[in-house]
Amino acid sequence: MAEIPMDVASFRRDLVAWLDAADLAPSTAGRGTLDDQMAQYFRVKRALWDAGFGRCGWPEHVDGLGGPALLRAVVGEEVAARGLADPGCWSMIEVLAPTVLAFGPESLVQAMVPPLLRGDELWCQGFSEPDAGSDLASLTCKATAVDGGWRVNGQKVWTSYAQFAQRCVLLTRTGDPGSAHRGITALFVDVDSPGLTYRPIETQHGRPEFCEVFFDDVFVPADRLLGDVGQGWQIAMDVLPYERSTTFWHRGAHLLQRCSDLVGAVAEADDVPATAAKSLGEAYQAVLAFRLRSRATQHRLAAGHPLGAETSIDKILIAGAEQRLLDTARDLLPGVIELDDDPQAEAWREDWLYAKAATIYGGTAEIQRNIVARRLLDLGAEA
Amino acid sequence: MTAIDVDDLAMLATGFEAAMRDAPDPASTTAALVDLGWIELLAASPAQAVATAFGALGTTGSVAGLVDDVVAHALDIAPDAGTAVALPPPARSAPPGTRDGGRIVVDGMASARLHHAATVLVPVAAVDGVEVLAVDADRVRTEASPALDTDQALVRLRATVDIADATPVDIQGAWPAAVASGRVALAHQLVGASRTMLDQARQHAVDRVQFGRAVSSFQAVRHKLAESLVAIEGAAAVVDAVGDEVDPLLAALAKSLAGQAARTTSAHAQQVLAGIGFTTDHPFHRWMKRAAVLDVALGSTASLPPEIGAELLRRRSAPRLVEL
Repeated sequence: MAEIPMDVASFRRDLVAWLDAADLAPSTAGRGTLDDQMAQYFRVKRALWDAGFGRCGWPEHVDGLGGPALLRAVVGEEVAARGLADPGCWSMIEVLAPTVLAFGPESLVQAMVPPLLRGDELWCQGFSEPDAGSDLASLTCKATAVDGGWRVNGQKVWTSYAQFAQRCVLLTRTGDPGSAHRGITALFVDVDSPGLTYRPIETQHGRPEFCEVFFDDVFVPADRLLGDVGQGWQIAMDVLPYERSTTFWHRGAHLLQRCSDLVGAVAEADDVPATAAKSLGEAYQAVLAFRLRSRATQHRLAAGHPLGAETSIDKILIAGAEQRLLDTARDLLPGVIELDDDPQAEAWREDWLYAKAATIYGGTAEIQRNIVARRLLDLGAEA
Repeated sequence: MTAIDVDDLAMLATGFEAAMRDAPDPASTTAALVDLGWIELLAASPAQAVATAFGALGTTGSVAGLVDDVVAHALDIAPDAGTAVALPPPARSAPPGTRDGGRIVVDGMASARLHHAATVLVPVAAVDGVEVLAVDADRVRTEASPALDTDQALVRLRATVDIADATPVDIQGAWPAAVASGRVALAHQLVGASRTMLDQARQHAVDRVQFGRAVSSFQAVRHKLAESLVAIEGAAAVVDAVGDEVDPLLAALAKSLAGQAARTTSAHAQQVLAGIGFTTDHPFHRWMKRAAVLDVALGSTASLPPEIGAELLRRRSAPRLVEL
């Protein structure tokens, strides 16, 4: 195999040529079931790993080929642009792997990260709880120190892909019940541990990708500790910038592709509303504003700048762009989302319904505005 | 095109801002900027020149007819402080001039340079694109009446000129490129003006006490200011992504988004500034009015999205425009 160039432009050129030649399109007529989608994810992940492109941007001690992390953003963008894998699933790695690389013991990292990057395994994120959503620091899932490790009892919710995952990055309460962000500890848990059960949640968009996860005296060995005891909040905060940089970049690529799909569908429609061009222009400019904001964030990350509260702006922009785009699709393709049942209609319907969550997950629209006001505009404490 | 060193650029920006604050009138401001190297910078590194000068024009609220130089440069005409360039009519991108028998009918806009220019270049619709005719400024200049922006950063330009009084000018650049370059410049100015309006509203919210506490502590106020910053940063990301070679679609997006950010920020800042913001005791009204005038020049937040959407439909795709 020829050596893969590590500069962004040449890397993209070679990747695009390889993707054009490879036959990685989903075999389903539309998106298929969630099971189909996951099988497709593992297939694409594995193929990119074997070709070398999926190893670029990851460090060599986890079997990566090195090179800038920007290369991972390029892979995610080209995968999303071709509709080869669900962007949410594709991005789970970007949410969790960098943090485990930063905080996990080296033996754990070397054992666990390569199977994830190869597409042999999947990880999930056990953060939110029924009573700890926006107020994450109030979480109560309890880890008690026992001989050789920890016993975990409690419940998580909104855990994406738990039913397909082998490992879970779990936030637990190890301090006093009132210890807030100080008494949180992160553990790396096997999903097949005795006492761990999950139940997929039926959601309005018809794809049960989120789960409730229950912990009933689950034993976690001591060597599965991420960072130090009490460092869990810092680890959770470390996750956020990755979620809001590379993960959002992938999602933005998906949205731009959907915008392109919509333009194509409108261009071919017989009966187009008179306001179509204006609506398309407004949706596209919202998507592009996010894209170029996210691009700048990628470059800041690549230059080694720490990411922080300013990524709340990225989050607000992508949520707004997503909802505007899908509402525009609903207006410009009259009846398709509401009445039709062909694979394209099902995809539009699913995306339109899923867009409703864009201002809820990963920190609600209201929480993001609070962060912007407090941290970026320095408006002082809230009343 | 050579990029200017970051430190040199920061020094130049400081010099530009000082000139804009200190000069007594638009002609002096322009002269001061020319002395500081504005024309040379525009030729050597147009993206940096435009970002620096127009960002400062926006934040300071100063008046100088620099957009004329940007449009002239894009048409490959040597910029000159004594030469104004006629701009399209409000919310349009068509050339301001049309031939009507032996006369040129001018219906467009002009920058503050019109007041002190010797020559006005009028882009005129032609069969195969646009021709540019030079006319004596006195033949098109009228006593402009104070409109929304009493500083007259931009004015309406309506005139009829005998063809015998107009001299053809050789141009190499294309009209769409000139419009695009002008849009990017005004987009930078709108972003700068929006930042100043947000600063004014933020300061007022922090200082103003009601019910025994700063009004900045109320979530309804905080979220308005937060939304303004989000709109500004979204627009700024697009404006800042424009390079020396101006992509017309990217330029249209930049102008439209910057205009939208200015609208969002004007509305929220006006509300947060409340009573004092409605008076001329507070300077807010100057930036609010300037932003509204800048919005209608070279295509507006209302007129650009249909133009952008039509271009997407023509291409049958939504392009990335800028790669990672």
